[in-house]
Amino acid sequence: MRHVRRPWIVSLLVLTIVAPAAAQGIPSEPVRLFDGRVRLGGEVSATLGEKDDEAFFNYTDYERNALRTFRAALTAIWRPATRIALLGELRTDDLDRFGAYAFYVRVRPWSEVPFDVQAGRIPPVFGAFGRRAYQHDQILIGYPLAYQYLTSIRPDALPGNADDLLQMRARGWQTSFPVGSLYAGPGMPLISAFRWDTGLEARWTSERIEAAGAITTGTLANPRLLDDNRGKQVSGRVAVRPLTGLAVAASGARGAWISDDVFGAGRSHAQTALGADVEYSRDHWLVRSELVWSRWAMPFGRVPREGQNISALARWVEGRYRLTPRWYVAGRADRLSFSRISGQLFDGVPTAWEAPVTRFELGGGYSLRRNLVLRAVAQINRRDGGRVLRRTYLSSQVAWWF
Amino acid sequence: MVLRVARSRRVRALTLTVLARSLRVRPPTVAVWWLLCVFALSPLALIGERAVAGTIRGRVELRQPPADHEPRPNVAELGMHTGHGPTDRRRSVVYLDPAPRAAFDARDEPRARMDQRNESFVPHVLAIVAGTTVDFPNNDRTYHNVFSLSKPRTFDLGRYAAGRSKAVRFDTPGIVRVFCEIHSHMSAYILVFSHRYFAVTDEEGRYRIDHVPPGSYTVLAWNEATELQSRRVTVGDSGDVDLNFLLNRR
Repeated sequence: MRHVRRPWIVSLLVLTIVAPAAAQGIPSEPVRLFDGRVRLGGEVSATLGEKDDEAFFNYTDYERNALRTFRAALTAIWRPATRIALLGELRTDDLDRFGAYAFYVRVRPWSEVPFDVQAGRIPPVFGAFGRRAYQHDQILIGYPLAYQYLTSIRPDALPGNADDLLQMRARGWQTSFPVGSLYAGPGMPLISAFRWDTGLEARWTSERIEAAGAITTGTLANPRLLDDNRGKQVSGRVAVRPLTGLAVAASGARGAWISDDVFGAGRSHAQTALGADVEYSRDHWLVRSELVWSRWAMPFGRVPREGQNISALARWVEGRYRLTPRWYVAGRADRLSFSRISGQLFDGVPTAWEAPVTRFELGGGYSLRRNLVLRAVAQINRRDGGRVLRRTYLSSQVAWWF
Repeated sequence: MVLRVARSRRVRALTLTVLARSLRVRPPTVAVWWLLCVFALSPLALIGERAVAGTIRGRVELRQPPADHEPRPNVAELGMHTGHGPTDRRRSVVYLDPAPRAAFDARDEPRARMDQRNESFVPHVLAIVAGTTVDFPNNDRTYHNVFSLSKPRTFDLGRYAAGRSKAVRFDTPGIVRVFCEIHSHMSAYILVFSHRYFAVTDEEGRYRIDHVPPGSYTVLAWNEATELQSRRVTVGDSGDVDLNFLLNRR
């Protein structure tokens, strides 16, 4: 695992720099340039947590520990005209390199119609958490399993049969298969919260309803800047707000997920996903829940015609209660389970193709300022397979944004 | 106010005239009697003196008017953010510091109101005397969560829907920054004073502080985006004083 020491050093630096700066008044509003045509925002977070180099419960598809990382992001919007905006976000994790997390143009074709089109590296339409993975909108430190936990499957390498897949249970952090890429590498989550896809998105909204659809290059699990299989993903979402404070939404997505490097061009195997999410808030309560079901058409490489569909189901609920203006407590219960397949292993008994995972995260936060928050959590993980079955992590974070 | 001052002066003048006439036309015993009356009434005369009050008024101009509050650039939105109401950041507050002693007289418990409309706090700047209860009605179409982490008054009203209102009492003087937890571009200022000698400027920057007793004062002009500016002023018996400010961007 890379960068084991650096996050601690950076986090300590941030704590020592940011905390005194907070007392002197750090920026709290976006920076305006060129008479307001350009606005800059930013976010810096330093997360101090335990190592996760045995159980890899919090390993991400960017090969980092979600509970032990430093992140800095700079967001900009440029509005050359009233109905056109160019948006971008540069982000670095552990000061490795700055990458364009988002970069797209937003157009409102008709000024009176609440219909927008966005093109480029765009925010995901599917689900809710993917657009909320910012520290100012997070109530805990860890990510929901659906958006972070690495399953064993990869877009560039395939199991030859069911046993190859079963052998990789709980090895999502570094998995290898006999077909396609021979190098070991990280698997995929159901939905990546660490990369955004590239494509075209349209949204229409009213006071009570929001509908959005997108065509993108990659898939939920493997968002891409450049296409690797000439198959597009189609995704959509409809959200309804029947009451003030209540939002209910349904999402769907389908796209080719296997790289052409595996089979060559001409074959298409889809990741199909359905999701539902709900958010309700009132007084000092905030409750969110999400359900994600994902199915992959899995062509076992050695005998492709005998492939089968494998699926995963993630569901989580999280809540926050604000005790005082500065203090809050929060918790999340999360479960990720998988469909069963049969092979020679496990005596031929149908077995979940990945080890199911249950996660509880409890914690709280303290607002030093409106835009400077300290958080601490305890995360309890349990996995029905693999080398390490249980692991509890403690993590703390300082997050600042403007 | 002006009427009160005039009346008070008339009373004093009348007393002195009567006294002078008395001294001239009446026998000494009567004069002594009048003198006794005058001495006996002198505390009342002092009260009358205190009631003489002037007005400090003028205009506060901002050399570089601050721009409207804008939301943080949010790349995660699926479309354009719906517009929000303008925030009038040009409003300033002019106040005396220190205030005359009479300013701390006990008063009834006043109420004030800070509305939430079109994703804005209205007014954006509110000046109140300590002990005021401020109502925060939500007259918007969406939830708001009014809160403040300012030292003089920390509070969090939670999320409440349109048509509902919650109230907060402000007892400690100071500046309270008010925010909405849901909408980052919503913010407001509540300036809590221990006295009543303050005024919020109008749309054209004009202000007026009435009932100021004669004396020398430091007058301060505050704006959220500028440096605090202070001026020394003397309010005499004649009444009104004009005092203008030109504030520089911080």
